[in-house]
This record gives sequence, C-alpha cells and structure tokens, in this order.
Amino acid sequence: MAQMELAGEMYEVDENGFMQETDRWNEDVARAYAALEGVNEVTADHWEAINYLRGYYLENGICPMIRRLIKVKGFNLSRLYELFPQGPANSACKWAGVPKPTGCV
Amino acid sequence: MKKKLKLADISKGGDTQLININIDELVPLPPPYDKVEEVRGFKQLTEDQRERLVCNLDGVVSYAALPKPKSKEEEKKYVEQFVSGLKKLLSKENNWTFLQPLLLSLDYCAQCQTCNDACPIYLASGKNDLYRPTYRSEIFRRLVNKYIKPGGKLRAKLTGGDIELNWTTITRLYELSYRCNLCRRCAQSCPMGVDNALISRELRKLFSQELGWAPKELHEKGTVLQLEVGSATGLRPNVAIDNLKFLDEEFSEATGIDVSTPWDKEGADILLIHSAGDIISFPESPISFTILCNAAGLSWTLSSEIPGYDGINYGVFYDDVQLARVATRHAQIARKLKVKKMVMGECGHQHKAMMTVADRVLTGDLNIPRENVMTFLENIVFSGKIKFDPSKNDFPVTLHDPCNIVRNLGIVEPQRRILRYLCPQFREMTPHGVDNYCCGGGGGLSVMSDVNFTDWKVYVAGRMKFKQILEAFSDQPGPEVNKYLCAPCLNCKLQFRDILEYYGALGKSGIICGGLAELIVNAMVDIKKPFITWEEQ
Repeated sequence: MAQMELAGEMYEVDENGFMQETDRWNEDVARAYAALEGVNEVTADHWEAINYLRGYYLENGICPMIRRLIKVKGFNLSRLYELFPQGPANSACKWAGVPKPTGCV
Repeated sequence: MKKKLKLADISKGGDTQLININIDELVPLPPPYDKVEEVRGFKQLTEDQRERLVCNLDGVVSYAALPKPKSKEEEKKYVEQFVSGLKKLLSKENNWTFLQPLLLSLDYCAQCQTCNDACPIYLASGKNDLYRPTYRSEIFRRLVNKYIKPGGKLRAKLTGGDIELNWTTITRLYELSYRCNLCRRCAQSCPMGVDNALISRELRKLFSQELGWAPKELHEKGTVLQLEVGSATGLRPNVAIDNLKFLDEEFSEATGIDVSTPWDKEGADILLIHSAGDIISFPESPISFTILCNAAGLSWTLSSEIPGYDGINYGVFYDDVQLARVATRHAQIARKLKVKKMVMGECGHQHKAMMTVADRVLTGDLNIPRENVMTFLENIVFSGKIKFDPSKNDFPVTLHDPCNIVRNLGIVEPQRRILRYLCPQFREMTPHGVDNYCCGGGGGLSVMSDVNFTDWKVYVAGRMKFKQILEAFSDQPGPEVNKYLCAPCLNCKLQFRDILEYYGALGKSGIICGGLAELIVNAMVDIKKPFITWEEQ
C-alpha cells in the first residue's frame, strides 16, 4: 500500500493518492491536497462542497451524484471545476478524504 | 525502434520491463489531436512505485496489489498454483463454462496471423509485437503443451520453442491478459474460429480463481461489493431509490411531464435492470427509460433488492464463480417479482452475461425470458403510442456498436432503424456493425483506473475508436457544430467520457456522448425543452 505525507502525517493512500483511512481525515489534510493541486486557499465555497461530500459519504457509503451536489449547494458544474481543478470526483472527493468512486461511475 | 519480440522473451529479464510504449509509434490521430498526447504525456511510474509494484511488462500497471514474492519458495508456490490452474482450465470438472471453445482455440490455430490486423489494440500500438493476439495465446498454448500434455516437457526441449514458466512469465501474463478488450474481433477474422479473446479471459479466470489475482475494480470493489451491498458503485438499495426519486423530481420539473419510476411492483410484466452507474453518472439514461416505458403504457418495474438494481456482471470479464453468483441473483429477483420477462439496460456485458453465458446456470424456473435493450426500445418507438418530431434531433449523430451486443449477439439493425427514423443526420462509422472497433474499455477495462492504466486505455486501447469517431464527423469537424456520439452501453460511455476529456474533444470538436434512449426522448413531441444539451459532462 502506498503512503503519502499530508500536513506532516503519513497516510495510507491508493495509487491515485486517495486516502484509504477515511476516519483519519481532518481539515489540514484537505488543505494539503489542495496545495498539491495548486490551490493555496481553501475558501468557504470549497468547505461547503467538501463537507457536504464527506457527510453524504459517511451517511450513505457512496459519494453523491454530481447533480445532487449542484442542486443542494447551488454551484454549477463550471464553478465546481473552478473550485476543484480536476473536478468533483478526482479533486473534491480526494480532498474530502473519501475513496475514489469506482464501479461504472 | 521497436525490437522484435520473441515468445521466449516473456520469461526473461526478471523485473525489467519487456517493452516501452512511445507515443510517436502509435497510429497518428488527425489534427487537432496529433499533438495533444505530447503535451499531456504518458504517466510514468515514480521511483517509489517501481520499487513497490510489479511493473515488468510495458510500463503500465493495472493492478497495484499484484504481490511481489518475498522468497524463492513463495515464487515457486505461485508458479505451482499457475500450473494447477492450467490443469483446471482444461478439465471438464472445473471448467463448466468454456472448456470446448478453449480446447478448439488451443488446437486449431494455423499460425496465419490474420487476427493480428483485426485487433484494434495491436493496430493502435503501431503493431507492437507484445499486443498481437497470437503472442499471448501462443505462449499460453505452449505452456499447456509443456506442462499439461504427457511428455510435454521433453517434447518442448526437442522441438524448440520452449517457454520457461517462472515468476516473470506469470506476472507478465497476468498484466497481458488485461491488455485485451475481449472484443473478439480477432475471433471473427479467424478462418479457423480460434478465439484469442477467450484465451485472455480464461487466463484472467485462472489468475482470479486459482491465485486470487484480479483487478480491485472488478473483484473487491466490483462483484464482491455488488453481492454485498447491491452495487459495485456502493449504492445501497435505499440510496438507489432515494437517488431515483430525486431524479424523478428533477426531471419532472425540467421536462414538464410527470416522471415517476416504479419500484418493486410484483406481477409487473417487465423487470428492467439498469446499470447502477447510469443512475449516478448518466442520470438522463434511466430517466429516459422511465419516460419511454410510461409513455408507451408498459407494465414495468425496477427492483431494489440486492443486486437487482445493478445489472452489471463483472464476472463475465474474469471469474466464473462470481459470474454465476450475480446472474443467479438477478434471475431469482425476477422470479420473486413474478415478471414475464427481464429487460437488459444499455449495458453490453450485461447482455453477454444474461443472454449467452448464464444460459448454463439459469435453468428450470430461473430460465425467465430475457430481452435485449435494442428490440425493446425499437418496439416502443414503433408502437405508435408516442409522437416524435425527428427535426428535434437535427444534429450529426453517429453510433457506436457495443461489442457484446452487436458482434457477440448479432443485434445490429433495431438500433439503426430507430436512428434512421429519429436522427436526420445519422451517419455510420467505418467499419461498423459486427465489424466495429471496441471503444477500448471492453473486457472491464473501462472501470479499471489503477496507477497509470487510464493513460493506456485511452491512448492505446481507445485509439482506433477515437480515430473513427473523428472521421465520422469529418464533414463538420469544428466545435461550432454540436455532435452526438450514441453509445448504448454504460462501459462504453465511461470509456468515451475518459477519451473525450483527455483530448478536450467537446471544446475542440463539439462531441458529447450519451445513450440511445436519450435521443428517443429528445425527439418526443411532448418534451418541450431540449433533453440533450452540450454542456461539460
């Protein structure tokens, strides 16, 4: 299993850098992921999306449909790509510390 | 320069990489796509990854968890397991599914190499020896002759062409079995009927069932998750229902007609089984089916029983046991609901699982009639119950043929009769129908994304397809003309999503990809606003 240092701690990650220990996530982890993608300031809009994704995942065992994220949080898709350079699945889910979505999605 | 690869090279060189893939050796793409890959590059492994991972084939790793043996004994154990797996593949007690075609494919290859030029992966690679369908198969054949047939070891020494079976051989064969889309274009071109795709698939089965090696997206997070929580997406029954309720409301609002998806209706005529990934990633697809089935006045239902709302069956790609488990559960759910028939969603390998392979397990009262999606949609379109205005679909449309539905099952025309009726600018790709090229995601590859595998499946496996899509639209190549790539299969759509995104093809060429049902709904007179839009997907 690959290891990755985020905000001074070592974490187990998959080969694409997604955290495997979801319960060890904290806000510094999200900031560290953001910085790796060139986003140095995690804004209130970022947190809105991250906290929603994470909360939905913990409750339902899966990330929400992008459509639902857009509806609930009022961001459109291009705004999501502005916030998260590699998009909702590859950036936002990663920063939120949940596993990479798989299984025909 | 590509070096000429010999069969025996597969076992030589230990952990070193057998070949390198160079982007400039691949079949060229037309402009403006001829430079994109140079800019984006092929994701190289890091030093740390090279240290940790088995990476001895082509610099691509599809399965990071492939174990590195810690001792000679461990290495020997894996090799022994491989030989034991070979024996099982060739015995009728252990290979209830594919023994006969496997034996025929082993016995009848005339070494004419005709199949090589039928393989889109081999062609795309610039004819790299490693990707010849016969390279993998002939190694497999020689290992069978040497280790399974009486006197084989002696004969291998005497006749030459001996392949040594060691750790390097088996790990390279593992990865190589996932450099094949199982599209069976090779089998179609073979004058003897040899099925090299089956050999890839049986190799995968050996690795899964005997050594426990299978891509995590197909096994651990695939069939295992599907049987446990209901879907390989992780979608649980209550979340699936909740999501579709949400979508019903969204689309009722957007279309102005009442969209209401029925669940668990005992005694309905039809059990429709979508792929759950469509609910999440292409929600217009399941919603289109709801709109069409309701408008046609059908008696139908979805099931929320595990895994009755996820029609995928990754067992088709790698493992007979998992294949049988999933197929049996699907049929049991249909039996319990007392439906008259099951209808497959827009998913190619679901068709292969339910309409061909599973015939062997779905016997007695599990042998419930199963209808493919194409004739199902055709009957709806031509039922006279829905009014259409084809001018609403007046944009260039081309059709991708999912291998498992078209080449494998011979279902070619129903989808075309729909498109010729509803899409004034429908045009075929060259070649098409049963001669189509695979999207490059076939054989389970479209859901595999470990390490740097996505680069390979887009740049190499999907290359011939992307090229023919661009050629189909070459009369109006620019982004100012909106174009629709109709791909009636979730796995194909996922592969196209990756391809279009990698090359920026929406911005450069105006191409989006979606299913067939969406095009039908888009042409409905009762749907006032355009159902299909060209926004970033």
